[in-house]
Amino acid sequence: MPLRLLKYAISREHPAPRFFRDCVEPKKTYDVVIIGGGGHGLAAAYYLAKDYGITNVAVLEKGYIGGGNTGRNTTIIRSNYLTPEGVKFYDASVKIYEGLSEELDLNLFYSNRGHFTLAHTESAMRTMRWRAEVNKHVGVESYVVGPEEISKACPQLDISCSGQAPILGALYHAPGSVARHDGVAWGYARGADQLGVEIFQNTEVTRIDVKGGKVCGVQTNNGYISTNKVLSAVAGFTPRITQMVDLQTPIVIHPLQACVTEPMKPWLDTILVSGSLHVYVSQSSRGELVMGSSLDPYEMHSTRSSLDFVEGLTSHITDMFPFLSNVKVVRQWAGMADLTPDFAPIMGKTPIEGFYLDAGWGTWGFKATPISGKTMAETIAKDMAPDLIKSFRLSRFEDYELTGEKGAASVGH
Amino acid sequence: MSSRLTTQSTEWIQRDKPFSFSYEGQQVTAFEGDTISSALWANGIKVLGRSFKYHRARGILTLANHDVNALMTDGIDTNIRADVWPVQADMQLTAVNTTGGVIKDRSQFIDKISPLLPVGFYYKAFHTPRRFFPFWEDKIRKAAGLGEVNFNYPRIPKPKQHAHCDVLIIGAGIAGLSAAISVAEQGLSVIIVDENAKAGGSLTYDMATDSVSQLTTLLSAVESYSKIRLITNAYAAGYYADHLVPIVETTGITKVRAKALIVASGAFEQPPVFRNNDLPGVMMGSAAQRLIYRYAVKPFDKGVVVTANDYGYRTALDLLAAGVDVLAVIDMRREGSSSPLVTELKSKQVAVHKASCVYEVIASKQKLGVSEVVICPYDELMAEADTKNKIRLKCDGVAMSAGWAPAAALLYQAGTKMRFDNTVQQFVPAELPEGVFAAGKVNGIFELDQRQLDGQRAAAEALNYLGKSVATVEVKQHQGISPSHAYPVVNHPKGKNFVDFDEDIQVKDFINAAKEGFDNIELMKRFTTVGMGPSQGKHSNMNAIRILARIRDLPVEKIGTTTARPFFHPTPIGHLGGRGFHPHRYTAIHEWHIENGGIMTAAGLWMRPSYYLPAGSQLTAQQAMQQEAMAVRTKAGMIDNSTLGKIEVYGPDAAAFLERVYTGKFAKQKVGQYRIAMLLDEAGVMVDDGLACRLAEDRFYLTTSTTNSAMVYRQLQREVQISGLSVSLANLTGVKAAMTIAGPASADILSQLTTVDLSANAFPTGSVVETKVADVECLLLRVAFVAEQAFEIHLPAAAGLYVWNQLMQAGALFGLMAYGTDAQRLLRLEMGHHLIGHDTDGLTNPFEAHAEPLIAMDKAFFTGQRSLKIIAKKPLNKTLVNFVLDSDFAGDLPNECNLVIDNGDIAGRITSIAYSPYLKRVIGIAFVPPEKRQTGSRFEIRNDAGDLIAATVIQSPTELAKSA
Amino acid sequence: MKLLQCPVNGIRPLSEFSYGGEFRTMPDPDSCTDQQWAAYVHYRSGAPGYKKEWWYHMPSGTWFIAERNTITDKVSRTYLFPKREVAV
Repeated sequence: MPLRLLKYAISREHPAPRFFRDCVEPKKTYDVVIIGGGGHGLAAAYYLAKDYGITNVAVLEKGYIGGGNTGRNTTIIRSNYLTPEGVKFYDASVKIYEGLSEELDLNLFYSNRGHFTLAHTESAMRTMRWRAEVNKHVGVESYVVGPEEISKACPQLDISCSGQAPILGALYHAPGSVARHDGVAWGYARGADQLGVEIFQNTEVTRIDVKGGKVCGVQTNNGYISTNKVLSAVAGFTPRITQMVDLQTPIVIHPLQACVTEPMKPWLDTILVSGSLHVYVSQSSRGELVMGSSLDPYEMHSTRSSLDFVEGLTSHITDMFPFLSNVKVVRQWAGMADLTPDFAPIMGKTPIEGFYLDAGWGTWGFKATPISGKTMAETIAKDMAPDLIKSFRLSRFEDYELTGEKGAASVGH
Repeated sequence: MSSRLTTQSTEWIQRDKPFSFSYEGQQVTAFEGDTISSALWANGIKVLGRSFKYHRARGILTLANHDVNALMTDGIDTNIRADVWPVQADMQLTAVNTTGGVIKDRSQFIDKISPLLPVGFYYKAFHTPRRFFPFWEDKIRKAAGLGEVNFNYPRIPKPKQHAHCDVLIIGAGIAGLSAAISVAEQGLSVIIVDENAKAGGSLTYDMATDSVSQLTTLLSAVESYSKIRLITNAYAAGYYADHLVPIVETTGITKVRAKALIVASGAFEQPPVFRNNDLPGVMMGSAAQRLIYRYAVKPFDKGVVVTANDYGYRTALDLLAAGVDVLAVIDMRREGSSSPLVTELKSKQVAVHKASCVYEVIASKQKLGVSEVVICPYDELMAEADTKNKIRLKCDGVAMSAGWAPAAALLYQAGTKMRFDNTVQQFVPAELPEGVFAAGKVNGIFELDQRQLDGQRAAAEALNYLGKSVATVEVKQHQGISPSHAYPVVNHPKGKNFVDFDEDIQVKDFINAAKEGFDNIELMKRFTTVGMGPSQGKHSNMNAIRILARIRDLPVEKIGTTTARPFFHPTPIGHLGGRGFHPHRYTAIHEWHIENGGIMTAAGLWMRPSYYLPAGSQLTAQQAMQQEAMAVRTKAGMIDNSTLGKIEVYGPDAAAFLERVYTGKFAKQKVGQYRIAMLLDEAGVMVDDGLACRLAEDRFYLTTSTTNSAMVYRQLQREVQISGLSVSLANLTGVKAAMTIAGPASADILSQLTTVDLSANAFPTGSVVETKVADVECLLLRVAFVAEQAFEIHLPAAAGLYVWNQLMQAGALFGLMAYGTDAQRLLRLEMGHHLIGHDTDGLTNPFEAHAEPLIAMDKAFFTGQRSLKIIAKKPLNKTLVNFVLDSDFAGDLPNECNLVIDNGDIAGRITSIAYSPYLKRVIGIAFVPPEKRQTGSRFEIRNDAGDLIAATVIQSPTELAKSA
Repeated sequence: MKLLQCPVNGIRPLSEFSYGGEFRTMPDPDSCTDQQWAAYVHYRSGAPGYKKEWWYHMPSGTWFIAERNTITDKVSRTYLFPKREVAV
């Protein structure tokens, strides 16, 4: 048992301080206001303070920190994208994640499991090879494997998928990992707080003031704040915020659902994804199977659960693992996913001076948390987006320069 | 040592059906009707499991489907809930999550080192240095988890039922049953469900009044209505939009769609929190009552009742009646009780201590049960025990009645706004969604007669909602002393006063979590994991809210609740997944493919032969495909194309409609001709292509690709509405069969069965005619997709197999072979044709695919045109080309999606590649930079092994054939 | 599963329907600027509220318009486009 825990055993008083201060009333003015106290917003605040010494920063969270998609995603971290710009961006995120527990001194349970994207059709196999080739080119360890290698990593998987969708192979992605999602938000919150950033929970932005094309302040239910720089990092609430500044974006909101089973002893070490069966699954450190499926088919700004989702998902998971018939689903939930037409995020500056956007994460954006924080901090500090996120600029849609991630999605299954 | 009581009039067990089973290797007897827990308890076995984190011994807590520390495995199934699962003869049960058995569990040392494991300990250690984390992670993962999953557990398809009713009632207690009767009286249909084996709710264990006869009356009334369907042993798993509620039984799920919903699901008894409140022998008062009245089992021999309401006094009398030596009733309330039960108890020599608490329970030697309770005076406002005045009583059990929490999960899921009601100290509905009603304890109504009335009231409201006109019913709101204590928590310096039994969370964990800043209910839940175990907080959430309220010095309603999500109880994957349908479509010729060795592959919903391996064939897949392709090149081949989308477009505006939707021109197209019809999306991306055959001035026959047929038809339908043109569509995809006969001998074969002059002059490529083949009405096209000479035939599906066979027969002498989709892919590659969706992707525009001849930019409008005008101004980024590998190429073929590399950078990718036995060359299609588009340009492909392979751009492989 | 009112076939479960996106009016391609056209193609009014949407009843092949609140998922009315009476 690590010695670090000894202090808890020998102290009369619980020796741990607050993770972050209980900020109640915002000041009249801040250098930067970050809307959204999820992983992305908190990470941006942390890196603003740490990398650029900008500490006069307020993070405004309408609910509680990490309560949005940060606390709802299925915690998968990977970089096996299709386009070089996507792979590089997410690979940079993985690299930060690998050392993040140490940096934030919080055990994020960053667990390297390896990630298999299963292919059940020839066309899916082609896409896997496409991704593998691009990944390899950029220096990310991904390659196409056959059924034998999949079986070796997960002997419980029925390679024929109950005869319904035989697995032809997979894209294996060695860096694929899972982590404790709440911890990421809390760790960044603590880190930012220690550097002087103020975090306000239960503080909702109701208006953003723009004068002469420049941001000048935000009205909240907790007072007015004047500022010249506002970052919106609100995922499923993005259209509500962009509406406040009259900014057009392609973002639409669809619910994305997930569920967990009862805990069981560990047996699934890898992360498995099947595009054809619309399943992704991993086993958490608590022993629950954490499972998700595709996006809900129509726009909705709500986190309601649907029975169709869990019926479809469980039907397909039993194709893959027939023995799970009597394992029980404990809980299902949903998050609001902010979608773009090309399945890549929208990051960087906008036509409104001082209004920065971090949005369009599609599937909750957890895996991008560190790098989006870091690159948005740089964008705000220098008022210029770093190269790493240039292809994610909002103007790409008007320029008909969508990112290539759209290419794979339409030939994927 | 048997704890089985003499026959109780209310008991659910069948004493004439005894049997035995084993638990942890020990033979145990039971009766039909016992649950696993009741049978074990009857046999004096009280350690039913070990807790999740500290591995503490646990027994019966609720007997109400949230004893999640009593989880068993029978070697086949795991995480079986012993408190409610019917025990069966010869079961061989063991507790889950132990090392070396439930008694000697070697993991129980964790309880001793618990100070080393503060709340959230796993966030605080094990991560430095980084390289050691995998070691610790492995330990932690193995320690976590409950049962072992059985990899041989069979997949048992559980068909789903659907049911519809006017009113669905959740809970068959007195409120629910009364509601059901009131609804049925008005002639409406009712489904009423209850998770217990028998209906009755608290009437089956709470004998405060004449419960037995009341229940008999209610049930016989229910039975008299044919419109009431009572389902027991079934729980409502969740609430979904428009009153859809899945009802889960062991046999499967019934999806009930109701017009209105009455939630009469009662309340969960809540534990008071004191040190060692989790030991086997310490249980809810209602659990003790269930043991006695349902299973005729004595809860313990000698014990006390700790209470914060009058239910505890009733429990004490029940225990006395069951022969338990009740030493004391300890009432946490300052004023105690004014109930006549107090006098009754005192007359039976039971000591009653008001303003007192159980300060702690002393564990027996191996911590497997209760040996003593310590009683102290208690200040209920300060929640402090006066430890200077201790009374110690030796005993083996404690019954606890501190209050209730509403079973409101479905109400929350339906969107009910709840408020905290101080008179009952619980959350009650404040604003119910349309068509949803609540009655009984879940609605904050506790008096038995009022619960009955509340059921009738809810029924009246539901009836009025459904358009009946019935008189409203008045119900008295709760008055006087609350049934729930405002803060049933006793602090103890040594802790182990549990709030959440699933997750082993003690009072200090909440205090410490708040100290660390996790001081709102959602953060606290996430940091402490309270309510995240399998019982989903049924016995813990309310106390957690109270503790947090006290920490924050806020009223409970300011703390609020966490969100309740499905499922009410954990629900098996097999139940939810059901039978798992995988629909497929077969063409009219499917049977022939199977008989002739067709290797079938899914193409969307359709099944198509990839290639044929007739019985006895020694060929590899590759050889079989090549042989089929070679037949087309040298003799003739035939493919079943029935899966193509087929749409008839007719009406005066048919041509105008096609001009609007497709990129080409159709207005001046002659009858008897077809043209390629390419579809773009609004962004100018290529989506699909097919042929548009003009059969009359006002009638076209359109084909689409197999995978896009439904999407294209759907899109065209919408365009018909938007355009307002006078045109109609008919989807003939499933109605028509189609086949293509291709190759040099194809005309000779086909001409035996048709009178059409098939010569290239009389019937050139681009021609279409309505004629007969083998005396069957059909559409005949001369095409050039897979071969210079080919004919596509579209005909009624019913005649598909007949005509196929006729052609096969006619072609036998010419060497006609059937070919599959694999050969088709090679053949079209040899012709230099790209496939949309295969060679193009979701961003490819027609300029990149050299499809300019198909685009009539000078038309007034077509979908995607305006975007193309924008794209045309921009430089081309990439372009599709045909290529050939060098003639001396040897080794492994590059694969599709291998990258084109230029100066070490990605410059494109291979979209198609194959060895052509006909051309004896490797040919393909690739995306390359625009500067490489010229015939003769050289570029390099990086294969899987990382080697660079040289390739040359060619106009078309057909040129190779000519020069060869 | 939700229920939806098809203007032709009445109330049917959601599984029989397919979502066709927001109902949007196309700008005049001849007079609009490139930027206006690009905005029409790519941008959406993502903010929540009552929206006019295309829905398709798959078994019968019926396109219609639904007015739906994208927060509550309540459909206030459905009708054919262009609005016209359906013969019963």
